[in-house]
Amino acid sequence: MSTTGTSTIGGMGHRVKRKEDPRFLRGKGNYVDDIKLPGMLYMDIVRSPYAHANITKIDASKALAIPGVLAVVTGKDLDAAGLAWMPTLMSDKQMVLPVDRVVYQAQEVAAVIATERYIAADAIAQVEVEYDPLPPVIDPFKAMEADAPLVRPDREQKTNHIWHWEAGDAAKTDEAFRQADVVVKQDLYIPRIHVASIETCGCVASFDRVAGKLTVYMTTQAPHAIRTVFSLVTGIPEHKIRIISPDIGGGFGGKVPVYPGYVVACVASLQTGHPVKWIEDRSENLQADSFARDYHISAELAANNDGTMKALRVKTLADHGAFDAAANPSKFPAGLFSVITGSYGLEAAHVAVDGVYTNKPSGGVAYRCSFRVTEAVHTIERMVDTLAQQLKMDPADVRMKNFIPPEAFPYKSATGWEYDSGNYPAALRKAMEKIDYAGLRKEQAEKRAKGELMGIGISTFTEIVGAGPSHTFDILGIKMFDSCEIRVHPTGSVIARIGVQSQGQGHETTFAQIVAEELGLPVENITVEHGDTDTAPYGLGTYASRSTPTAGAATAVAARKIRDKARKIAAHLLEANPDDLEWQDYKFQVKGTPGRSVGMKEIAFAAYTNFPSDVEAGLEAVDYYDPPNMTFPFGAYICVVDIDRGTGQVKIRRFVAVDDCGNIINPMIVDGQIHGGLTMGMAPALLEAITYDENGNMQQGTFMEYLLPTAMETPAWETDKTVTPSPHHPFGAKGVGESATVGAPPAIANAVVDALSHLGVTHVDIPFTPWKIYAILEEHGVAE
Amino acid sequence: MHFTGTQQIKAPVAKVWAFVLDPNKVAECAPGFKTMEILGPDHFKPTLAVGIGAVKATFTLDVQLEDVREPDHAAMRGRGAAAGSAVDMVAAMDLKALAEDVTQMDWTADVNVSGTLASVGARLMEGTAQRLTAKFFDCFRQKIEAPDDATAPSTASVPSSPASESTGAQ
Repeated sequence: MSTTGTSTIGGMGHRVKRKEDPRFLRGKGNYVDDIKLPGMLYMDIVRSPYAHANITKIDASKALAIPGVLAVVTGKDLDAAGLAWMPTLMSDKQMVLPVDRVVYQAQEVAAVIATERYIAADAIAQVEVEYDPLPPVIDPFKAMEADAPLVRPDREQKTNHIWHWEAGDAAKTDEAFRQADVVVKQDLYIPRIHVASIETCGCVASFDRVAGKLTVYMTTQAPHAIRTVFSLVTGIPEHKIRIISPDIGGGFGGKVPVYPGYVVACVASLQTGHPVKWIEDRSENLQADSFARDYHISAELAANNDGTMKALRVKTLADHGAFDAAANPSKFPAGLFSVITGSYGLEAAHVAVDGVYTNKPSGGVAYRCSFRVTEAVHTIERMVDTLAQQLKMDPADVRMKNFIPPEAFPYKSATGWEYDSGNYPAALRKAMEKIDYAGLRKEQAEKRAKGELMGIGISTFTEIVGAGPSHTFDILGIKMFDSCEIRVHPTGSVIARIGVQSQGQGHETTFAQIVAEELGLPVENITVEHGDTDTAPYGLGTYASRSTPTAGAATAVAARKIRDKARKIAAHLLEANPDDLEWQDYKFQVKGTPGRSVGMKEIAFAAYTNFPSDVEAGLEAVDYYDPPNMTFPFGAYICVVDIDRGTGQVKIRRFVAVDDCGNIINPMIVDGQIHGGLTMGMAPALLEAITYDENGNMQQGTFMEYLLPTAMETPAWETDKTVTPSPHHPFGAKGVGESATVGAPPAIANAVVDALSHLGVTHVDIPFTPWKIYAILEEHGVAE
Repeated sequence: MHFTGTQQIKAPVAKVWAFVLDPNKVAECAPGFKTMEILGPDHFKPTLAVGIGAVKATFTLDVQLEDVREPDHAAMRGRGAAAGSAVDMVAAMDLKALAEDVTQMDWTADVNVSGTLASVGARLMEGTAQRLTAKFFDCFRQKIEAPDDATAPSTASVPSSPASESTGAQ
């Protein structure tokens, strides 16, 4: 892949400044809450105070008496229209509004439609709902007991167990365990966390009664899939539904699911004939939107005494809340958790996951983790360290000993994935040199002698991103291809429309760079559009680091189709045989005659003004790209922490992140992705966790309790890279958006355990809050 | 949340009993009391405004007296709703004469706060509950221990709590 494009083109490998930034920096972004339509009404939502209760009565009369209140929508109203329930993306169904029963605290119970936002907010307090509380099911282990109250009596199966899923070879794993010298076992809990994007969820639903068309501006990461689901659920023909994702203020997986508010706003617009706006407030967003993680993991790793890892056995209980409303590919109820063998060559592995209902909002959102990869990576990276600790070996040595060797790719993992490419030892060596690993170990020994607590943690993770190949990946039956449509205008400027949807990733820049590279047209003359289902080609949207592996590939392939046609026009212009032309330095030239060449700008003009008789006018192409495989980015992270014996606070002193995402489109944007991802990876390691009291009340309903990282906690990240291109991707790229979120937590966890290992500590669950660490220090007599 | 407490009140058991069983009198001491609807001798609906941290909520409670055994035991069950929040409580008290004009009240209460108030005020809940309970009993003792000709003073004229604390401890 050429990274030699001149700066006038701004193709692959250039630090092109983000095209979207001028509007964001000047406050000219256009988010859903910026949309104002004539006659627009406002919706607010009455929510349940109880985690589990029967609804005995809803009296809206007082609310309806308030001037400006036009309607109060309840579950019974929706039930009459067959819309009280909706399908989830995981073959479950979910209440839009409850008819007679609530199943989590802050669940939507009714909606008020009013002429003003403040009237709607006042009126929800006047909707009188009577409840008869039921015992809530909060602990997922208790939920699995035979006498547990049922979260979902609507189901045929009278149990809280949702599904059982497994991967790998159980018998072969058992055999490897029997032959191993040593087995280490560890239980891990990956707490429930929330994506907490800056922009909460919301929509403006606008039904045009004359045209019979529903337009919905909404905060969604997957507008096309939403359109199809809306059509199937409501019966409105799909061409009469237009979903527009305008600027989105962060998605991180939390904006893939369909939330009840979207549906109720659409119903309200259909009923009133007015546009209806619904925007969540921060506490609603934190309490009720779908959550991530919440995996109770029990892992065993078998090895030989020399540190050679042999097999892995993992059992997991997955708390999915009251509805299985995660957005995993259909065949993967536990996401891509089976990538849990990580960067290591194992003889065998077996993974089993059981999903369980509890009286909590839906869980299982893939929070910047490509479907449960964070949980998998945390497990294997902690287990490697646990083994190293048990065998009194250096964790770097254990990793080096067990890495899948670079020459073994493509590599078939013990759970069946075919890793496309990798060079794990090179990445770890680079990180160790950059941070001076040997020097740090020496320093640690000296500090320990003085009673100071310093830890060094390594994470050498492998990600699996870019879902995905149609033979394996679909959502509700729709295969997970993605698309791009490119039109080259007569003057050589371009519009490219893509099936994926930016929530801040910089698609308008990077996808323009792909087109620039492939067509040799300057990046500033290329407009990238996305998020409007009336104009963009069908695609499954942006999440799971899939944009570059799927739609990025489609963009390159569509551009190459244009180049194929351009070759014929170029031949016509150069009066040469197309076969005698070569694409060199962003131009077609007659082989061996650099003087006789023509660029894409002239070709574009000719495509409309002077095209050969056997060639159609115009210059455009579309591609729906079905990736042959996933891409497997990887990295080596090393973290140094100091623990304050007086406060229990964990301070990250240094953090070196060496990432490999194959060929890079825009290094500046990748750096930004890594920096943001590392910060979002640090957050659950040090700060974030959602907990519930025994009644099912979520305990972190504001940012006072749910602690997001700020500049104060964030260290100066030190980033570097290796480049191992994906062999199957058109320009050798892999996804990158989630690598750091996935790879960072275990590096921090391993550093914290390392700092305490000489005291006999073998594991601590995240987050490492000061009180948790201080309690450990006290227990071991080293607190100050 | 489970609470228990013991109060010593400088009044005979019968007087304490009469006061406790009179919803109007008790309501005057309830924090944030706004209105009272009496549906029967053992069934009433007070409205209370409660704030935890930045969150304010007006609860309409439905209170039912239960297990009333004159002169020394009574229990109550209450449920209240406010926008996005709910409270469920069960409370009981036993009276015991320590002297002719000194009564000991042993009480227990189980209070479950649900919804927004619990979600955004969890850190402050226990402290707020203790503060409100102390405030309630201060007021309660003062009213009950006041001479008979001065029983219905407005809440504004209630003396400050340190004075009543010392009275109760004697």
